[in-house]
Amino acid sequence: MGAAPSTRDSTHSAAPETSGPGLAVTGVVRRFGAVVALGGVDLAVRRGELLTLLGPSGSGKTTLLKVIAGFEIPDQGSVFLGGQDVTFAAPAKRDIGMVFQNYALFPHMTIAQNIAFPLEMRKVSKAAIRERVDNALKQVDLPGYGERLPKQLSGGQQQRAALARAIVFGPSLLLLDEPFGALDRKLREQMQLEVRRLQQKLGLTAVFVTHDQEEALIMSDRIAVMEQGRIAQLGTPQDIYHHPANRFVAGFMGESNLMQARLTGPGTASVEGGASLRFAAGAVGPAGSAVGLLLRLERPRALKDGEAAANAFAGSVVEVIYLGETVKYRIRLDPGFEIVVRWPYRESGGSLKVGDRLRVGWDAADMQPVAWT
Amino acid sequence: MTAIAAGARSARTPWRGWRAHVLAALFTAPALLFLLLFFLWPVLRLLSLSVEGGSLAPYQKALTDGLYVQVLFNTALIAAYVSAVCLALGYPVAYFLANAREPWVTIGIVFVLLPFWTSILVRTYAWMVLLGRNGVINRLLLETGLIAAPLPLLNNLTGVLIGMVHVLLPYMIFPLYAVMRRVDPGLLSAAEGLGAPGWQVFRRVYLPLTLPGVLAGVTLVFILSIGFFITPALLGGGKVIMIAVLIESQVRQFLAWDFAAALSVVLLAMTLLVYFGLRRLFRGDLQWG
Repeated sequence: MGAAPSTRDSTHSAAPETSGPGLAVTGVVRRFGAVVALGGVDLAVRRGELLTLLGPSGSGKTTLLKVIAGFEIPDQGSVFLGGQDVTFAAPAKRDIGMVFQNYALFPHMTIAQNIAFPLEMRKVSKAAIRERVDNALKQVDLPGYGERLPKQLSGGQQQRAALARAIVFGPSLLLLDEPFGALDRKLREQMQLEVRRLQQKLGLTAVFVTHDQEEALIMSDRIAVMEQGRIAQLGTPQDIYHHPANRFVAGFMGESNLMQARLTGPGTASVEGGASLRFAAGAVGPAGSAVGLLLRLERPRALKDGEAAANAFAGSVVEVIYLGETVKYRIRLDPGFEIVVRWPYRESGGSLKVGDRLRVGWDAADMQPVAWT
Repeated sequence: MTAIAAGARSARTPWRGWRAHVLAALFTAPALLFLLLFFLWPVLRLLSLSVEGGSLAPYQKALTDGLYVQVLFNTALIAAYVSAVCLALGYPVAYFLANAREPWVTIGIVFVLLPFWTSILVRTYAWMVLLGRNGVINRLLLETGLIAAPLPLLNNLTGVLIGMVHVLLPYMIFPLYAVMRRVDPGLLSAAEGLGAPGWQVFRRVYLPLTLPGVLAGVTLVFILSIGFFITPALLGGGKVIMIAVLIESQVRQFLAWDFAAALSVVLLAMTLLVYFGLRRLFRGDLQWG
């Protein structure tokens, strides 16, 4: 917190165009000693949009969230909320609703008192508080739970109450800090959809922090993938999943085959073992330069006799991993490289065993070039 | 699966059924015997002493004679003062200890404990040296010209309070510290984020969450205070009579065993009353604990 004002870059004059009604972060740098937690982050969140900060621990996503919430003052850069510079404003002055991973419900207050807290701090009248608390409880599907203490509620219910507390005062921004981390899988999926529905219904501008790429894909309008204090890629879930900007994003966005290759011409590259692969065209560099080739597990298919594909290889099954609806196979292809595929159990899967021979193929469009560095 | 099976086996085999009970009884027997012999027996003996004459006259004297009622009242009042001063001084110290970084926590705790490890008698005499008419403090103040005549610091209530607070402060600090350590800082951030200014965060969240520590500390200090003997005896100079001082003088000077015993029983009753009274008083606020 103790950033000396003198070390700050003082060239933050006007809010950028995009910041108008939502949230804008410009050139934010935050260092902890020699560690650069945020190395110059620019981000604009549109009004009514849910943007996810996705990244592994230590990528800076939580620090960025704290800067937005006001618990950290950036060394450089600015934060704009609704067009107003709030870089140095205290958290209490920012009008942000926050939901924490451990719920952070006040244990000595009832659920209704918890939800009333932000309203009381805003000097809302008693009668209005009652009405708005009841309304918020209904919105999160907890009617009648107002008089209970937090510890008398289940984890999922506590998270709903925390959500109610965060939205009851009509905040200009909703921050969600890994809110479902403590919930079991089934409940988590249910809450993800509920929160998303509520956010859309109320038209809330929201920033969501998670390290779970699947959760990010389900919840987000846009995702900002963070890597070492920077935004590695910003885009829609489809964008990021299908066209990852680099190796890090590709690796983080779900399981895939990522092969190091050397460009040999437009849309062709050679991999370990010398095999030439065809991929979706795109200017990625001059011949001879390194490139990553991304092939999602579900894209390759087993070829019938005589069937052709842009990339077609014979090989043998090395490993079978049964996943229920699908089966994963590690296949050693004859030119000397391996791929992993995931096939529905019923279609092709059930019968293959280790050592079985087969032909595998995929189209050029199934394979995305990815910057290797 | 194997872990569960192993866990179940180790839980079952070693202390099973009646053997566990016998073992538990064997382990606790020495301490239990000691308490029976040297604590429960004397207490019962005291009770019987107080009614030995076949009448409740000693009790009547203790509870109706204006002089002695005054002593009982004084004792409670002094205990209340000491508790209040300890709370006022101890709360910030405990807050510092609970929120400081190492090595400051360890250093702070050592400083709180240091007097704790020193004999109470030594400390009380040290205060006499410091607080007397010609004591260190008065001489310093006189020589620097801050005061014209020595301050009355010894042989009065002031001296007793200073000495008792000094002895009892750790008993306030540690329960507070223990509770403050467990307060989730996320709750304070949450309060702040929801729009609460600093003093509201304290009043609405931090203070209620640390109330169990306040209760524990106040109970401990108050109960220890009402039975205090050495400090009021030495620093009060015979002018501040607390119940323990009175009991001692009844035995030593007047050999009035029955009256001393009755006073002791009254003290015991006061202690229990305070203990259960404070517990009840705060119970409503401590439901989450």
